[in-house]
This record gives sequence, structure tokens and C-alpha cells, in this order.
Amino acid sequence: MNPLLAQFLAEAADLLTQVDEGLLQLERDPGDPELVNEVFRAAHTFKGSSGLFDFPELTRLTHAAEDLLDAVRGGRLALDSGMTDDLLAAFDLIRGWLAHVTAHEQLPASAGADAAGLITKLRAPLGGEPAAAADATPARSGASTIDAAPDWLDQFDAEWLEETASWLVTTSATMRFVRYTPDEGCFFRAEDPLHLISQVPALAKLGLVQPAAWPPPADFDEYQCLIGFVLATRAAVGELNYLFRYVPDQIETVELDGTAIRRHLAGEAPATPVEEQMAHVAEAVAGNLELARDAYDILAAAQRSLNVDTPSGPRLAAVAHSVSAAAAALGMPVEAGEPDLESLTARVSTLLDSAPPPPEEPVAPPPPPPMAAADRGRADDPGGQVGTRILKVDQEKVDHLMELVGELNVAKNGLTFLADAAEEEFGSRVLGRRIKDQYSGLHRIAEELQAAVMDVRMLPLSVAFSRFPRLIRDLSRRLGKSVELVTEGEDTMADKDVIEALGDPLVHLVRNSLDHGIEASPADRVAAGKPAAATVTLTAVADGDAVIVEIADDGRGIDPDKVKRKAYEKGLISEEELEAMGDTDAVDLVFRPGFSTADQVSDLSGRGVGMDAVRASVEKLGGTVTMRSQLGRGTSTRLRLPLSMAVTQVMVISVAGQRFGIPVDLVVETVRVHAAEIGRVLHQEVVVLRDEVVPVVDLARALDMPWTPDPAADRAILIVSLHGQRVGLLVEQFHREVDVILKPMEGLLAYADEFSGTALLGDGLVLLVLNMKEVLNLAARAQ
Amino acid sequence: MPLELNETTATLSGVVTVDEVEPLAAWLRITDKPKVNLRRCNHLHTGALQALLLFQPRITSSPTDAFLATQVLPLLRGSSGGPVLPESEPP
Repeated sequence: MNPLLAQFLAEAADLLTQVDEGLLQLERDPGDPELVNEVFRAAHTFKGSSGLFDFPELTRLTHAAEDLLDAVRGGRLALDSGMTDDLLAAFDLIRGWLAHVTAHEQLPASAGADAAGLITKLRAPLGGEPAAAADATPARSGASTIDAAPDWLDQFDAEWLEETASWLVTTSATMRFVRYTPDEGCFFRAEDPLHLISQVPALAKLGLVQPAAWPPPADFDEYQCLIGFVLATRAAVGELNYLFRYVPDQIETVELDGTAIRRHLAGEAPATPVEEQMAHVAEAVAGNLELARDAYDILAAAQRSLNVDTPSGPRLAAVAHSVSAAAAALGMPVEAGEPDLESLTARVSTLLDSAPPPPEEPVAPPPPPPMAAADRGRADDPGGQVGTRILKVDQEKVDHLMELVGELNVAKNGLTFLADAAEEEFGSRVLGRRIKDQYSGLHRIAEELQAAVMDVRMLPLSVAFSRFPRLIRDLSRRLGKSVELVTEGEDTMADKDVIEALGDPLVHLVRNSLDHGIEASPADRVAAGKPAAATVTLTAVADGDAVIVEIADDGRGIDPDKVKRKAYEKGLISEEELEAMGDTDAVDLVFRPGFSTADQVSDLSGRGVGMDAVRASVEKLGGTVTMRSQLGRGTSTRLRLPLSMAVTQVMVISVAGQRFGIPVDLVVETVRVHAAEIGRVLHQEVVVLRDEVVPVVDLARALDMPWTPDPAADRAILIVSLHGQRVGLLVEQFHREVDVILKPMEGLLAYADEFSGTALLGDGLVLLVLNMKEVLNLAARAQ
Repeated sequence: MPLELNETTATLSGVVTVDEVEPLAAWLRITDKPKVNLRRCNHLHTGALQALLLFQPRITSSPTDAFLATQVLPLLRGSSGGPVLPESEPP
């Protein structure tokens, strides 16, 4: 792929996130000019960079979004949730396109059609000036509509204009007139306007737009473009749009026929050129029923909005604005005044009654276009991003680096064995010590290297949290609940693999909270004495070498009795368990496979695969899930995850002569007890430790390895904790703890669930790391 | 070399790029009654055109390039008002 395009795609992802976040915040706090500016700038940058590539639909769509945002920024429009929806939809569409571009380096074939609808929607709130908008949009459809003659036509030689007009009238032909106002700094971007113009096909006439006043020669800056051009051509609008595709905001294109030019020439002489020109615009409007129809649609939409939403404040002002603009377009200008709901409603109905669609005689012009000036200002906008000193590196490279660090660790560990060999086999203590010295130096460097690489892989939790504002907004709207999201500790760091793997479980938990946790309607909440808007809190805190993520809601909580009954009905627990189970254990039942408390299954969550899938995926990461709930007060789910999955600390033990690894996280303690202290309860061997009965599993038997312990020796028992329960493992011998890079079981061994993976030890031995949950299941089955 | 600067005459030839704008403007600034020969000029950078428009040198011979001759030269002539030698008009 073209490196420029690759960089654009990388940047685009950031920009899209920025726009998404900004829009959501903006919807909550519509008045914040800083926020509007931020979103606008992101959209503007997007449009600018997209122009570098041949994606005209992308540029057009971002341009439309940018125009809307510009209107919001200028205070001409108030952003409402409808507009936000459209804007979000536009950027969602762009996201989809970019995914396609990433794969195929071109936009999907349907891009044009998809964009057209959205562009219309985005432009609708700006509907007050549809003609202006169309003029300012160079990429409008090539329909042969005759535009109003703009006043910059004066830049052409009058005599030539007269001749051309006669010719065009005679031949009933049209010509395209372009005004090109290059940006002052365009030379620095290697633009040469004159060169561009020299490429215009069938150029009929070139005119010059001189600056209002030339600077004195001494102050003249030759690198500042002060001049502009007007040109007349027989080239089609499409050709012009293509040619000027990189500077669409600097050109203005109109299509004129002889009559329009003559009118312009005639209108120039009297002292009222503006009115004359307006009349021409009206003429153009008359020929353009579409505009009138648009205006009528806007009025109808305004009426609906007034009847349904009863808007107020800035929203009402926006409606009033579009109504008066539409009225003006229909030829029935209304006096601008302080809008209030009733008078506006009345006005809209009067207008609709008196203007049957399609209207017959639209007379008055739309307001004169202020767009050109705005565009000029925007071109100078320092909206570009200040480059940050951040290196973007492909994830695979970092992963590879991590692997190499792992290999280095293994190779390094080999030195200790070499030192032992030097001492024992070759009898050189000195050499053995020197090798150990070397080892310790190497060890320090390897540790630091590993820490550095791990640090590179660290991402803030905000990456995992970033999708939730949007998710919660969408879900709460769909469910008709009012939900506030609070996130805390987004800057807590964790390994990228953890963050990535965290995404799905979190989405599931948040969905569950919204769907089941929070009361069905705000009224229920108020009745329960809680604020109408529910709060969902996402918290992340670092806890040693783990990170704890908590999802809490202040909803109705889990009813332990209901959960127990349900579990009993579904046959998940026995009758005795039903009687004996405490509330905490009852809440934990929701994690059992096949459990779903929702009375009816919704499309959001509650397909009965919910919480057990969450627990399974978190445990796969080496983490744990616990849930606490207070009936009527809310539920909180706590995920505890290792900071990094790349390096696992395991404790090496041996059973029947073979070594195995057990994740250190699970290990509680190692004890040696006398053989006589191991008792039996029913079929289960147990040991009593500090007044607690701990079942003991003979690991050798569970793994089907023949081994008879020496009856005289003490028993080595490793106490592990799994799901809060302690289990003792009878092993042969304890060894040291090692850091290993765990490789999953593959190929022929992939079926072996009792092992979570293999690791290579420094002496070349392959260590099998046990998956304790499965091993205990095996042991249970063996009895 | 697209730009040859003499005491009173500048000869522009080939493609005049943005690199030639600065020396050309500097020359025009210090030269009294400058003259510019455009005959062999194929393209004029916008910056160069702008400099010619501001300092209004006398165009001693018009370009043979069709676009420059038919579209750009009239702009220069229109603003400077200086006569162009008749024999240099393209057919």
C-alpha cells in the first residue's frame, strides 16, 4: 500500500474516535464552543487529508459534515440529537469505507449512493440556503441547471461577454464559469493555480481578479498568492470538479446561458445591481422546482417537529430559522422576530396552506450566499494537527520483539545449567563462578529489556472504555432508559492483549447492566427513591501485577432468592443447595452455564449464554470475575486481570518424576505434612490446616501417572485457590518459580484441556503448565 | 536555466517554477524600467505572473506557447497597458 495512504488510514482511526467522542460530549453540552471547534477541526482535517487521495465521495461527505458543523460553530444552528445521529451515521459510514479501503485500496462501489442520502440529510438543516450550498459545493450533480449570474462576472471583459452571450443565445448553449480564489499560502503547498488553469479543457476566456490594493513593491511578498482568476470554459462540470478536486473550497462554479449573461450585463448599468441580480436568482429559482419542493419539505418537517417535540430554546430558534428561510424560498418571506412556539406553529400551518406542493410562483430569492468569505477563512484555519512525537509501530513487530525477549530469557537461563555443568562435569569452580557472574549481568539486561518491551505494549484502559459512551447512548435510547456513564481510572495501563481481550466481556457486562440491571423505566426508579437517570460506573484500578475493572450500576440489584429458585428450576443446583446457599453464592449462580434470569429474552442480552461466557473468557486471560449485588441498590461486577499475559509466572512442581508448572497466581501456600495427618472424609482425602478442612487431590492419580509415595516421607502438598475454594494437590516435590512465555497447546495436543500451554525451560526441558480447573474436573471424574 | 537576468532585460524560458519567483521579483524590484522576454517561456508560475502584474515590466516579446499567448498575455497587457511589439503577435 502507498505509505501515504497507510498513514492516512492510521490517522483516520484516531480522528474518527475524536469526532465520535466530541459529538457525544457535544450532545450533552451543546453550548460549548471549544467542543464544537474540536469536532469541526477533526472533520476539517479529515476532509483535508481525504483530498489527497482519489476518494471523491469521502471528500464530499466530510465536506457536508464539515459545513453542518461550521454552521453549528458559527451559532447559525443548534445541534440536536437528530443532527448528531446524522453526523454519527456519516462517520460510521466513513469508518466502513475505510475498512474497505484498508483491504482493497478503494472505496466500495456503493459509496456514491450511500453518501448521497446522508449528504442530503446533513445539508437539510442548512436548508435555509440550499442554492448557496449547492454553489459552494463543487461536487454537485452535473444537472444542467442554469445558475444566477454571480457579480464576479464583471471581471470578464464586457465586450467579450456580450459576444459570448449572443453566441450562447443563438445556439441555446451554456458555458461554465469558474471563480478560482487560491489560498494565500498555496505556493507553499506546491500548488500553482495558473498551471491548474492551463489544464482546463476548452478554456474560452481567462480573467484576473486583482487584489483590492497591491502592496507597495517593498512590502511585496512574492510567496503570497494575492491574485485570483475567473475563467469561462466549455468543459463539463464533472471535468472541472475533477481538475479542481484538491481545491474544492477555493472554486465556485456556475453554469450560465446567454440570457443569464445578458441580464447580468443589463443589470450592471442601473444603480441597483443587487436587486437586479436577485431578480435573476429568482428567475433561476422559478426554473428550479426542486428548490421549492425542498422548501416545502422543510416546512412540513418543521411542522412535524413543532407538533411532536415542542422544542424550546436554541432548538426552537433553529426551527424558526429554517422556517423563515424556507418561506423566503417559497416567495412568502416572514418577518423575523423572537420565535415562540405558538406563533411559529401558526405561521408554519399558514405557509403550508398557502403553498401547495409544488408551488406555482416562487418569487423571492434566498438570502445572498455568505459562503465564499467563510470558505476563505476556513482555508487559513490552522486546523491541521500539530505532529506528536509518537511512533506508530505495527503490533506484529512488538509481538515479535516480545517473542525474542522470551527466547533470550530461555537462552539466558541456560547459562545457569552451564555453570553447574562446569562445576560438576569439568570440575572448574572458577569457570562456573565466572559463568554465573556473566549470567547475572545478562539477567539484569534481559529483565530491563523485557520491562521495556512490556511497557511498549501497555495501553491505557481508556482504549477499552472508549466505545462505551456510544454503546450506552445507543442502548439507553433503544431501551427508553436514561443512563449516565461515569468512567474512572481510564489511564490505568494494561497489556494490549489484555485490553483487547477485555472488550467483549465488558460489552456483555455493560449490556447486561443496562438491560437487566437498571429498572425498566425512569418512573420505577423514582418510585424506588432513586434519581431518574441511572448511573453505570466503569472503574479501573491497578492492583499490583493485576488490573481490576469494575462495572457497577445503581439498578435494582439481583434477588438472591429469585436466582436460587431459577437455578433450581433449571436443575443447576440441588434442593439441599437451594436451602443452604448463602446470598453471595446465590449471586454467583448467574455465572453458571445455561443460566439466564430475564423473564423474556431480549435482543440485547439474555440469550442464556451471557455470564458464563464472560467468566470463561476472563478466566482464559488468567483473570477472575466476581459479582456483588444488593437488592434494590445495584450490582457490581469485578474483573481481575493480569497486567500482562505475555509472561506467566509459574511454580514448578514434579509428580512421578515429571515436572509441571502451575500458575503462581493460584498458589496459596506449600505445606509438608506427615502422611498420618492426611485423613479421609468419605472418598476424599483431606488435610486439616489451621482448623480448615482442605480436600487433597493426588495429582499423579488425576493425571494418570503411576506413582507410589515413600510411606515414610512427609507429603508435599501445594494449596491452590480456585474460585475462592482451597484445594490441596499432593505432589512429589516443589521446585522454584520461573517466568515463562506460555505457548498454547497446538496440533495433536490441542485437545488436552488439562494443560493450558507449554513453556521452554532454560535447560531445554519442555514444561507443561496445568490448567487447574480442568485438572480438578479430571480428579473429580477419576473418583 | 529558465531565468536569465541582464541589466534591463529578463529572459524567461521553458517552465518557470516557483524557484524562479524570488530571483525574478528581486530583479524586478531593483531594476529601473525592466523588460521581460517571454518568447520561449512555456509556463509561468502563478507567483511569477503575480510579480509581473505588480511591477508591470514591458513585455518585449510574447510567448509562443498557446495558452500563455492567448490567455495569460492579455492579462499582463491589460494591466500594464504597455504595447506589445506587433511583430511578436502569434498568427
